Amino acid sequence: MEVQKEAQRIMTLSVWKMYHSRMQRGGLRLHRSLQLSLIMRSAREVYLSAKVEAHEEPGVPSQPACSLDPRLHPPREAQTRVEAALSDSEQLCPEPMDTQEAPRAEESPARCAPRPAKISRKRRSSSLANSGDAGLVPSKKARLEEEGAEEGESSEISNRLQPPPAQAEGAFPNLARVLQRRFSGLLNCSPAVPPTVPPPPACEAKPVCRRADSMLNVLVRAVVAF
Amino acid sequence: MAGAGGGGCPAGGNDLQWCFSQVKGAVDEDVAEADIISTVEFNYSGDLLATGDKGGRVVIFQREQENKSRPHSRGEYNVYSTFQSHEPEFDYLKSLEIEEKINKIRWLPQQNAAHFLLSTNDKTIKLWKISERDKRAEGYNLKDEDGRLRDPFRITALRVPILKPMDLMVEASPRRIFANAHTYHINSISVNSDHETYLSADDLRINLWHLEITDRSFNIVDIKPANMEELTEVITAAELHPLQCNVFVYSSSKGTVRLCDMRASALCDRHAKFFEEPEDPSSRSFFSEIISSISDVKFSHSGRYMMTRDYLSVKVWDLNMESRPVETHQVHEYLRGKLCSLYENDCVFDKFECCWNGPDSAIMTGSYNNFFRMFDRNTRRDVTLEASRESSRPRASLKPRRVCPGGRRKKDEISVDSLDFNKKILHTAWHPADNVIAVAATNNLYIFQDKVN
Repeated sequence: MEVQKEAQRIMTLSVWKMYHSRMQRGGLRLHRSLQLSLIMRSAREVYLSAKVEAHEEPGVPSQPACSLDPRLHPPREAQTRVEAALSDSEQLCPEPMDTQEAPRAEESPARCAPRPAKISRKRRSSSLANSGDAGLVPSKKARLEEEGAEEGESSEISNRLQPPPAQAEGAFPNLARVLQRRFSGLLNCSPAVPPTVPPPPACEAKPVCRRADSMLNVLVRAVVAF
Repeated sequence: MAGAGGGGCPAGGNDLQWCFSQVKGAVDEDVAEADIISTVEFNYSGDLLATGDKGGRVVIFQREQENKSRPHSRGEYNVYSTFQSHEPEFDYLKSLEIEEKINKIRWLPQQNAAHFLLSTNDKTIKLWKISERDKRAEGYNLKDEDGRLRDPFRITALRVPILKPMDLMVEASPRRIFANAHTYHINSISVNSDHETYLSADDLRINLWHLEITDRSFNIVDIKPANMEELTEVITAAELHPLQCNVFVYSSSKGTVRLCDMRASALCDRHAKFFEEPEDPSSRSFFSEIISSISDVKFSHSGRYMMTRDYLSVKVWDLNMESRPVETHQVHEYLRGKLCSLYENDCVFDKFECCWNGPDSAIMTGSYNNFFRMFDRNTRRDVTLEASRESSRPRASLKPRRVCPGGRRKKDEISVDSLDFNKKILHTAWHPADNVIAVAATNNLYIFQDKVN
């Protein structure tokens, strides 16, 4: 548990640092962004494997097809995506979502779904919705009216995943999106929530984790708000 | 080895006693960001010492002539010239501010009475000429003494202008500006031994320039992946070989060094040698990648060795052996257990530089709490010294410091927890011939020298 908390703390710190790097004089430093993403990757691996252990200990049947083990993911690839989005101002295309959204969004459902669905790049909204992860897709409209009505995880997720306002997009417009995606993916597909096990997720049963999660939410919201 | 060291300080095989010589910079506790020294460099003779700061200024100190009335005191360094090398700029296309901070200064070998140096910020390299003027021409025909044109009708006779002596004036003038060649932040510049070319390195590319030509450069290394999402390493430092003008090295954030030979191909994407030490799996942590990143690489003056500095250690490599370094010196191993808090306060991203002494027998690098470390390669002795105003009486000997790695603290030892991580020595320079060192501590420049018997 200690390790897991430590990993989570480091991840939180990393998000803060990435966020603050944006406002640094002279712009984002590629080296620093890379280093931050490497730390985040290490922390994420530890966090996920600690969660797996914590999950297996109480005897909850684990899903063999649910690839929770971080070793099964190409973490370098995943994290360098964060890095790339953070740092490469050269490659920013007018609509980064169109080229990057699909593969990214695919990561999270793929991790939790027993069989990752093939997702069409073009019709990502509908296909993602079909795959049961509609919350990962930025909604077209701000769902302000739904927020009040919906309580709990789903509203939180949708809130987190609203696209950042266009005017907030600076030289690195996909930072916020990538961060929110990484973190929402991280939280959504935490090992405590295998797709066949209904909520509440295990982390809700643990007040410590819950607090940390909400802290992350605050952070991610801060990034989104920016 | 961390924190160890005898009473004497190593350099050149003999135990030396280092003593305070000078300190430059304001005493104020409140340090302006612009005054923080960001680079220090002696010229080839050691008579000039240049510093660059975060405010884009370059200050050059000149060593005074030996004073015969005070034979013990070797020449002191006094301000010779100060000029604004870089100004803050704004990249309107990227909507990005370009800092004026001087990242590196490199002197060119002296060819005539003037001195030349290259200074760089994140994007633009400038070639500066520093020259003296102690005469001025008087008695022009077409203009009067204050430079105004004379009325042609009043010119009745021709005269020959004459040179009149005047107070010595040191002029710094920009001779060349090498801009628009780097997309990322420039971390290194290095002048070639052919005295005609130099290289500049940013996070992903290395360019080769001719000192006379500003509108084009040759890209000799490009590690930018076609898809930036696959990026796993960046270039952290690069240097040309001191004797072979075709050889250069560059270090990476993965802790490796590549040596390239420009004769092999125009684009040196394939290295000739690859220096890498296998990682010790027992010491893996969240921060392994960060602390193994090389912050500086320097060839020895002889060109036989090179030195690399990572976060916790400094390593000496024989160019003929790629598999492991010939020497590894721990700089502040006691920080290994504190990496998490060093990550919190951003210290783990600090880029410490390192330098050789003249005969390549000793190396020096910085640490925290205004401590700097020296390692004697022959005797394998090391010492920790402190740059502080408290011991800044003239010719006061520097007392070796010891850091207690943990457990019970002995007398005169400093515990790791009481180290001040805001006081860091990132930049140091060693005179090319003498035992004179320059140590940049935030906004102060300390100059120490060995005690002359």
